[in-house]
Amino acid sequence: MSVELATRLIDVLGALLLFSTLLILASGQLFRAIYAVAMQSVFLGIAGAVLGAATGNPDLWVIAGITIVVKAILLPWLLIWVVRRIQIPREIESVIPINATLALAAGIVVLAFRLSASLGPVRQAITGNALPVGIALILLGVLVMAARRTALVQMVGLFASENGIFFTAMAVTQGMPLIIEIGILLDVVLGALVMGILVLRVRSSVDTDIADLENLKG
Amino acid sequence: MASSLLWLTPLLSFAVGLGMLLVRDRRVLATLDVAGSLAVLGLTLAITNRVVQAGPVGALGIFRADHVAVLFLVLIGLLAVAVSIATVGWMRQELARGHMRAERLHYYYALVHGFIATMLVTVLADNLGVLWIAMEGTTITSALLVGFHGDKHGLEAAWKYIIVTTIGISFGLFGTVLVYGAAAHAQGGVLAGAMNWSSIVAVAPHLDPGIIRIGFIFVIVGYGTKAGLAPVHMWLPDAHSQAPTPVSALLSGALIKCALFGIIRFHTIARAACGPEFSQGLLLIFGLLSVVVATPFILAQHDLKRLLGYHSVEHVGIIALGLGFGGRLGTYGALLHVINHGVTKALVFLVAGDAIARYDTRDMRMIRGLMGIAPLAGTLLLMGALSLAGTPPFSIFISELMVIQAGLAAGRTVVVAAFLVVVVIIFAGLIHHVGQMVFGTAAASASREREAHLPMLGMLLLVAAMVLLGVYMPAGLDRVLARATEIIIG
Repeated sequence: MSVELATRLIDVLGALLLFSTLLILASGQLFRAIYAVAMQSVFLGIAGAVLGAATGNPDLWVIAGITIVVKAILLPWLLIWVVRRIQIPREIESVIPINATLALAAGIVVLAFRLSASLGPVRQAITGNALPVGIALILLGVLVMAARRTALVQMVGLFASENGIFFTAMAVTQGMPLIIEIGILLDVVLGALVMGILVLRVRSSVDTDIADLENLKG
Repeated sequence: MASSLLWLTPLLSFAVGLGMLLVRDRRVLATLDVAGSLAVLGLTLAITNRVVQAGPVGALGIFRADHVAVLFLVLIGLLAVAVSIATVGWMRQELARGHMRAERLHYYYALVHGFIATMLVTVLADNLGVLWIAMEGTTITSALLVGFHGDKHGLEAAWKYIIVTTIGISFGLFGTVLVYGAAAHAQGGVLAGAMNWSSIVAVAPHLDPGIIRIGFIFVIVGYGTKAGLAPVHMWLPDAHSQAPTPVSALLSGALIKCALFGIIRFHTIARAACGPEFSQGLLLIFGLLSVVVATPFILAQHDLKRLLGYHSVEHVGIIALGLGFGGRLGTYGALLHVINHGVTKALVFLVAGDAIARYDTRDMRMIRGLMGIAPLAGTLLLMGALSLAGTPPFSIFISELMVIQAGLAAGRTVVVAAFLVVVVIIFAGLIHHVGQMVFGTAAASASREREAHLPMLGMLLLVAAMVLLGVYMPAGLDRVLARATEIIIG
């Protein structure tokens, strides 16, 4: 695969990744948000494969495969399992209304592109627009977590944010060392399990959303 | 031999934790806990000895111990020992009061040792990716400990803790990726060990300053969240106050220092790549903000453990200020403050846990006359509070003085003035709170049980370190601190 083609594909995939996070922000239904982050993870896996073909680095193929298995299948399945198990209301509770969130999101994307346009020669080391897209994805993930008061959607925001990091990491020359990527993914899975346990324990004892608890103040 | 110690130390702690899962007997668990911690302290001292004798040592291409790392390493070892000794008596009380269920004890002990193991990996990591993985590992293990009791408050605190620090340190990972990308670019391709701190520092002057700046901003926000720097400290008072007392001591004493260690590693890179002004300026802003933001919450606080949590925010701020003022004195003072605050805060959390158990409340307005019913605990609480407030002859006074001197030497008069005002206010507030708890007459309902020996032994160990460092600087520690300062400021 030629470098130009890879760059163009990465830019298209970057746009799709951004679009997926916007879908999460715009969704008022829990399942839509979960499907959107699963779709985003598939795009991330494809990006890994594209970069693997372009650079000839076999590690990237492995990372792409693990990403799809863990982030597009395992974690969304975990979220859906939790939802089914405890009969959570399917509507997402917002702190900031959806329209306002989307306006904020547009601002964040513009900011991320302007920030990375100011960078020097090192930009050449990163394929296409992976850097501004990565920064935008991370900040948009935080926006999801801040704007929604449903524990599982906050987890979805976290996964979307992490997808941004992985995207930039893949595009940084040849990606991080394989063993490090695997270690990070292991942390992501363990962290998600612990979060799932906490959500279940609160549901089973006081029957509210854990993100709704606000007893600790001052 | 020496290099295998680097991976043996965390592995041992991890193995002790796994082994505990198989044990059901309470006494065996407590013995394993103390023995495991003592072994970790012994190994960290052996590593320190080796580093002092023959310089930094690496292992497996991902671990490395230098003079900066051993400071944090010994702090973790020392606190592990003191806390596990104190846990023996604490656990007896908790079981008697029904706060802890006997059949779940092995999970508790195993998680504590897993937590210690991940902290050890954090400070021993040379590879910045491993540093991050271990740091997230500390979040996962300690979040389970924060919510261990399973009550509503504990679960709320655990949720806030894991969700906020996980998203926080994912910023740290992004910063790591950017710094790694810059290093790979500067080296003209990915070489072996390109993600290692030691090899990145070696090429740091040739790194692209633009990308390092963005990378450092992400790192200080990310690892700063984990360290409890304002304005991203919101989770800290919740988590540190809701955790079981020995865990609070480890969280406040050791864990937030591990996050600072991560910031220090990147600070060293950023100093060399874009000059000292940039990263020091950011550290100053976060440091001053932490000290200022913590003040009103300390004054208005009624919950004893939350008070101590906000106090940790203040002290992390002081360490950041020391690093931000920079120079030899500021950096040296900041590193000394890491040790001093770690020791003192662990002590005060343990004593506070004892007082809370006696009065069966965390409300400081209900705790009166501790000196009368538990003279030793009362004295220790008073000493710890005086030390935290920065009075001589305790250790924190020395390091705070160094930080202030460094600020004046750097010409940051306004920052120093603001800092002094806040420290005086906090001094008054803390002495007011603690004075009322220690003196006066205790309510009839307070437990007048005789003071148990073992928890006191753990606390006395910390008091000894606190007083010793206040009046005397051991030559060995001074050498390590001086060398660590040189490593950081180049």
